Amino acid sequence: MNWGAFLVVAAASLVSSALIVTMYSLGLRLMTTAGRSPEVGPAEFTGAITVLTPKRQAKDAKRTRKALAANPLTDGQKRLALVGAYACFSLCAVAVLYGVYLIVPALHGA
Amino acid sequence: MPEFTLIVVLVIALALIFDFTNGFHDTANAMATPIATGAMRPKVAVAVAAVLNLVGAFLSTEVAKTISGGMIREGEGGILITPELIFAGLIGAIVWNLITWLRGLPSSSSHALFGGLIGATIIGVGFNAIDFGVVMAKVILPALIAPLIVGLVAFLSTRLAYAVTRREAGLPDGRGGFRFAQIFSSSLVALAHGTNDAQKTMGVITLTLIAGGYQVVGTGPVFWVVAACALAIAIGTYTGGWRIIQTMGRGLTEIKPAQGFAAETSTAATILASSHLGFALSTTQVASGSVIGSGLGRRGSTVRWGMAGHIALGWVLTLPAAGIMGAFAAGLALLGPIGIVLDVIIGSIVVAGIYWWSRGSRVSHENLLHDMDDAGRVVRITKTPRKPARRNRQKVAL
Repeated sequence: MNWGAFLVVAAASLVSSALIVTMYSLGLRLMTTAGRSPEVGPAEFTGAITVLTPKRQAKDAKRTRKALAANPLTDGQKRLALVGAYACFSLCAVAVLYGVYLIVPALHGA
Repeated sequence: MPEFTLIVVLVIALALIFDFTNGFHDTANAMATPIATGAMRPKVAVAVAAVLNLVGAFLSTEVAKTISGGMIREGEGGILITPELIFAGLIGAIVWNLITWLRGLPSSSSHALFGGLIGATIIGVGFNAIDFGVVMAKVILPALIAPLIVGLVAFLSTRLAYAVTRREAGLPDGRGGFRFAQIFSSSLVALAHGTNDAQKTMGVITLTLIAGGYQVVGTGPVFWVVAACALAIAIGTYTGGWRIIQTMGRGLTEIKPAQGFAAETSTAATILASSHLGFALSTTQVASGSVIGSGLGRRGSTVRWGMAGHIALGWVLTLPAAGIMGAFAAGLALLGPIGIVLDVIIGSIVVAGIYWWSRGSRVSHENLLHDMDDAGRVVRITKTPRKPARRNRQKVAL
């Protein structure tokens, strides 16, 4: 058993996973900052998902609108945040493509 | 296509059946988390996984070429392992895969295959035919290490995901957005699975063809073998091992989109890193480990260690249990044609019995993840009280 290889694998997975997750989270964060919070609802409600009552949803939506209206950023700053968000998402897309590249041997000549 | 003897035909049929069980056993690895968070509808998720497994199977045959190398010592120039032994090993692997499926346990299909083959080889050839050093290095140590590495990676990734998207000043956290990313991260896991697992069956069939003298030593799998294996694993994946999806998606911990994304990214990163930097890790063990890690990473979520213990026990038992069944089947198979017939009959009875038994507690995409609420009574979910928000805590302190 090669313990060196094991450490390398641990480090590589840790760094790549942390990097991708941070990038995507940062993208979501910047979207919110830009006033365009991504709303992606579940495709299907499973038992694992807490279903909010319409009343509660309306309340949440109102609070969100209020918070967004109070956003102190200028339009330029918002636009900058949005560009940043798309940059983050693009990096994630590159990471996915790199993953496909690693999986398909024909691409890296193994 | 040359004319095959009956035993070779039987081995090929069994290998494809094993491939099928491998598919539905491992659907959960990629698709349990996106189904649990509602990122994809259950039917869509298994369809995507099936297509990616099908595509993946055609992408590479590297693993298939090396499947026989190493663990089972091959004789001088010739191959010691006979089709009868491969046949017996496959019976052991299939039966164990079905038993663990019935129990909803995500166990490694590769370990079941190796276990069955090792058990059959011990009976047929003897203990010295097995290189236990290689078994230790290739199977047992990675099995211990994989969940630890990926658990840590998933834990930290989940922490990061939550820290970066922390809700501020009443703004929404946008964490629903992780659902979109989950589609890609889980697809990557499914594709990686397809390139690896279908090849194990291709390797077994090719090994049989070489051993039976139908194929030149040292050549890779021929096209019809690749196509048949790809189809078998894709159909298996589409059938969906709903019991195991339920265990992974709901039984270990409750998964939210951020956790799901972190877990899948960790799974994909670990599998890709390990297969490119040295040793292969079991997809199943990596995926289960990352679900537990992400469960630990979210504040307020609980990991059901009882369930985790069951799964770990399943992992420990997989190699010896499949080995014992493979050994038993090999003992019968060595009696000659009558033994093979007995093997087929006993195997069919066991498989039919498991299927009949499973009818009593059917799990499908329809009742999936809802029934776990009932199971909660057995599993005992302890709900940890939510930590109060920081400002409320300060108020209490004042």
